[in-house]
Amino acid sequence: MAEDEAKKKKTTFDIDAALAEGNTENETTNNIDDAEPKDEEQDDANVDIDLDFTKKKKKKKKPFGTDDLDAVAIESKEEILIESGNQEDGTVDDNFDLDIDFSKNKKKKKKKKDLDELMAEAEEKAAEDRENADENSTLWVGSDRDYTYDELLNRAFEIMRDKNPDMAAGKKQKFVMRPPQVVKIGAKKTSFANFTEICKMLHRQPKHLLDFLLAELGTSGSVDGNSQLIIKGRFQQKQIENVLRRYIKEYVTCHTCRSPDTILQKDTRLFFLQCETCGSRCSVASIKSGFQIDGYTSSERTIPSYQLQLLHFGYFQFENQIEND
Amino acid sequence: MSIQNLNTFDPFADASKGADDDVQDGLVHIRIQQRNGRKTLTTVQGLSSEYDLKKIVRACKKEFACNGTVIDHPEYGEVLQLQGDQRENICQWLTKAGLAKPDQLKVHGF
Repeated sequence: MAEDEAKKKKTTFDIDAALAEGNTENETTNNIDDAEPKDEEQDDANVDIDLDFTKKKKKKKKPFGTDDLDAVAIESKEEILIESGNQEDGTVDDNFDLDIDFSKNKKKKKKKKDLDELMAEAEEKAAEDRENADENSTLWVGSDRDYTYDELLNRAFEIMRDKNPDMAAGKKQKFVMRPPQVVKIGAKKTSFANFTEICKMLHRQPKHLLDFLLAELGTSGSVDGNSQLIIKGRFQQKQIENVLRRYIKEYVTCHTCRSPDTILQKDTRLFFLQCETCGSRCSVASIKSGFQIDGYTSSERTIPSYQLQLLHFGYFQFENQIEND
Repeated sequence: MSIQNLNTFDPFADASKGADDDVQDGLVHIRIQQRNGRKTLTTVQGLSSEYDLKKIVRACKKEFACNGTVIDHPEYGEVLQLQGDQRENICQWLTKAGLAKPDQLKVHGF
């Protein structure tokens, strides 16, 4: 019975004729399988073949076990979707992009390896993806079989993307940032050259970001005349990047909708993050440097002696001290 | 038979318990500090004071093959200090030993 069904399906597909010869081979080898995996396979084969002439290294052609194919297909589909979402930003901006989608970190890392190559690949893929999408959408028009979940899902996404193209890029929140320029100064200091620029991009007070950076790195530092940040200690760009990423996650992107369009307000000693997109408002953790081992502490926090004397006489109190107590 | 409404309930029970580790949400902060050259120090702050930190540090020293001490700080309480970048190690170790849950750990630094 299953076989019958499968055969029927096969014929309909052949009539559809959108498929290459590889498919039929595939069919004949796996004739005994029941209907469900068959459908999958059809799609898989499709994807597989399409991808093959771009010489993707990861695509293995030969094995036709359904499990293998499924896995490959799902992977490849996912990747196509992601890449297609990616390419808008990627092509426009050839700066390194600091992507603020933390759920997909793994993919991102892979992607960052070789930007040029990847960009070219992404373009290729996107073009191909279009074709693919067309094929996919028309693939089952003639037949009256049950559509697989994947197909329906793809279709829904395609329609969504067609109807509002500006949302296509924002399938997930993209937030492109310039990389921090980190230069060594001598043996013991590090310069963060575009510090103020990045503050401006994030719409945050330089002081706030400075506090965070110094607290996280556990050092001291200051902004010099050329609006660059000088940090004590040796740091690499990657390390600063990590800290920046954490800053953005905590203090820039909205915790509800992940939009970077937010305002940081101070309200009765607490910082609140107000989202301009979704209107949510939530408090964010205060910056605490925590325990610092003596001798390596940030010298900024220590009070100069003349002020200390004045303090003893009760002439004035420090602003930050009032807050701390 | 007990009537639930008549049970005495101490609203400050959890407050008094959480107060001694004065860190918010009982987070365990793991920090790193650069020393001279490529040397670093790792500090662990916010471990519950129910634990004997001296024993913990003894075990850590043995496990990570590094030196370490417990520092008593007036504001932050007892802080564990280890030599070198032990952030990964200490995270794993704390979770494995069941001293802290993974979501309680907060790693700072680069």
